[in-house]
Amino acid sequence: MKKYEAVIILNPNLSSKVDTFTKDFEKLLSSNSFNVVKYEDVGRRQLAYSINNHNKGHYLLFNIEGDPANLIEIENKIKYNESIIRHLFISVKEHSGEDSQLLVDSKNKKTEAEEIENKKVEKEPEVMESTNKVEAEEIDSQEKVEEQEESKEVKSEEGIDE
Amino acid sequence: MSKYELPKKFDYKNVNILKQFITETGKIIPARVTGVSASNQRKLTRYIKIARFLALIPYTDMHN
Repeated sequence: MKKYEAVIILNPNLSSKVDTFTKDFEKLLSSNSFNVVKYEDVGRRQLAYSINNHNKGHYLLFNIEGDPANLIEIENKIKYNESIIRHLFISVKEHSGEDSQLLVDSKNKKTEAEEIENKKVEKEPEVMESTNKVEAEEIDSQEKVEEQEESKEVKSEEGIDE
Repeated sequence: MSKYELPKKFDYKNVNILKQFITETGKIIPARVTGVSASNQRKLTRYIKIARFLALIPYTDMHN
């Protein structure tokens, strides 16, 4: 038994099918007598350079352990899977039980984004209401002016008749 | 003391630490400039190269 870390970068367009992919991959691992010690779904991440014209990738991290001979078979099957744009297996002495820095960073980013969105949601409605009121008042005043002008015209026409 | 932040254990996933040791153009900075020990520099280069392969840090600034 050897310990490995597997990194798999998925096609970002198939992000919604991650669950089915992980299930299939775990089946493939277990059929080759590999144990999944830890699984991390880092999510979509900006790539430092484009791979196959993709600028983003969906990162998955696996901590696995198993037989080196079986790993070759797994790699052979993964090689021709078109939904994977890059993969890497690294042997490690020990699995660190903690969350990887990638996952921590992506979580921090998500919470920041959520905070910003929450602030927007809190602020936006007030602003919208105030602008709506101003617009409504303007429209009202314009209509009044137009009405007044019309009434004047009507009066002047009446005067001509007399 | 060196101005660089070194972790207890090097890891290709810790992008922020690895980014200290590459130039703006993506080259690995030599140890004679950073003052990192020889054994740490060997580890750094190994993990920088892995991180490059996984598109976590760039090979160069000429990527389109």
